[in-house]
Amino acid sequence: MTDLSPTILLVEDEPEIRRFLRTSLSSEGYRIVESASGSRGAVDAATHKPDLAIVDLGLPDMDGVAVIRRIRAWSPMPIIVLSARVHERGKLEAFEAGADDYVTKPFGIGELVARIRVALRHAMRSRDGEQTIVLDDGSIDLEKRIARRGGAPVRLTPLEFRLVAVLAKHMGMVVTHRQLLREVWGPTHELDTHYLRIYIKQLRDKFEPDPAQPRHFLTELGVGYRLQPGE
Amino acid sequence: MSTKVRKGYAWAVAAAAACTLAGLAITPRFDLVNIAMVYMLGVVYVALRHPLGAAIATAVLCVGAFDFLFVPPRGTLTVDDLQYLLTFAIMVVVAVVISRLVQDAREQSRAQAGLALEAETERIRSALLASISHDLRTPLAVIVGASSSLVDAGDRLNADERRGLAKSVYEQSRDMSDRVVKILELTRLEAGGLKLQRDWSAFPDILRAALARLHERMATHRVVLDVPDDLPLILVDATLVEQALGNLLENALKHTPPGTVVSVKAERRDLALRVSVEDYAGALSPDQVERVFDKFWRGDPEGGAGGVGLGLAICRAIVRLHGGRVWAESLSGGATAFRFELPIDETPPMPVEAPAAPDD
Repeated sequence: MTDLSPTILLVEDEPEIRRFLRTSLSSEGYRIVESASGSRGAVDAATHKPDLAIVDLGLPDMDGVAVIRRIRAWSPMPIIVLSARVHERGKLEAFEAGADDYVTKPFGIGELVARIRVALRHAMRSRDGEQTIVLDDGSIDLEKRIARRGGAPVRLTPLEFRLVAVLAKHMGMVVTHRQLLREVWGPTHELDTHYLRIYIKQLRDKFEPDPAQPRHFLTELGVGYRLQPGE
Repeated sequence: MSTKVRKGYAWAVAAAAACTLAGLAITPRFDLVNIAMVYMLGVVYVALRHPLGAAIATAVLCVGAFDFLFVPPRGTLTVDDLQYLLTFAIMVVVAVVISRLVQDAREQSRAQAGLALEAETERIRSALLASISHDLRTPLAVIVGASSSLVDAGDRLNADERRGLAKSVYEQSRDMSDRVVKILELTRLEAGGLKLQRDWSAFPDILRAALARLHERMATHRVVLDVPDDLPLILVDATLVEQALGNLLENALKHTPPGTVVSVKAERRDLALRVSVEDYAGALSPDQVERVFDKFWRGDPEGGAGGVGLGLAICRAIVRLHGGRVWAESLSGGATAFRFELPIDETPPMPVEAPAAPDD
């Protein structure tokens, strides 16, 4: 990564959780800016210009979703949401507001660090604009519209290409059903989730070594999908 | 006057009229005593079903009608034979006695229902307390003990010992968190405020999510999957169904020794998707089959296998919310199947896309 350690803004009202995240994330080499409230967080995001924000959804003063909206209004920085399992609905709203990924409380630190790494890598890469997706056993060139699997060409329909392109724009991160349907099929099809089930299955059949145990086209239950590049 | 009371008096008039008609119909062939019995029937009928006032009104109307139409001299309210006064008195007494009895019985059953409800609430409350004190106190004791060792004696312990203590804190607290989530979840499901977020979902996705979430805990068992590739989509709240299925899996893990097989089957059954989780925990008795999905019910009252006894109740609540059903079945060979069925709706059609473009 860069010589400067990345700065992470942490918007979380519980001091104990802040403390544990500060300790663990500092030891991973990140610089931490802490905000104990939503309104504070929105301000700190503007003044500190962090590389990434972690936002708790259950803030007392202001909805975490509102914080995400305020940050998204001016910055494309990756935003990771901390959600509780009993607040599944809030998670979906957070994604609609522009969150990129989430971890569910209680979470292990390893899980969060993995998400942070993917998000930071993505933020750097999206500036370069990457057009070829490398999978374990194949590749998809979005520009030339060529797909291969184990050396042999694979035929993709125009919609399949479009679906892969939208997922690839957020490589490694969650893209909601709604966003996928809107960008691939158009705004009138936002609720037609069965389209996605059928097309993702087609893509899995074409690219996954074992379509029953997908490694690239991953389901985020109740939220959307995530495209995981090959290792 | 309330409608109920008014209805009672209407019945009084109707009963008296009906008895009079019946009396007139049989009068040439039957004694006056038997006609009095017909009136008595009317009084008893009203007294059984309506308040005391209506019963007395029936008695008075019946006495009047009987006296006027049947007791000589007919067409007057005067009575030749004084013995009919006794008949009148008996009718009124019967009306009062039966009304009282019925009212008492009603009050008693109402009180009993109230008591039963109170007892049920009390049972649930004490079960909850028992489970909290047992199921949360044990992991808490481990967490407090292990973490205090780390705080007080961390320097004197070697790395392995420290890691071991930290690991038990981690595992116990995660376990506890699961249990707290379950209690909250069931409260939420039962409060009825939950709106399903239904989406067209593929069952294999739901299964994979459940297996991924329970991955660490399932490592001790052999999980066998039997899920056909061509299952229809289901219109469900996928995160909730994942929980229902996850709870069945956790239940199987909890009650069977490590190394045994837990199998998950999915199949289409007419207009339903049937999901079965089968384990070899020994067959359930018919009573257990009935009760396993009840709240706070545990196979072992001592709580040996752990858990608050909410997992299956949550599963049932979720499946029912989806209009499905859930049940347990003893299979041959000491296996038990926990199954649920979710209705399959017809997947809406989707526009046909031109076949994949050739790669030229």
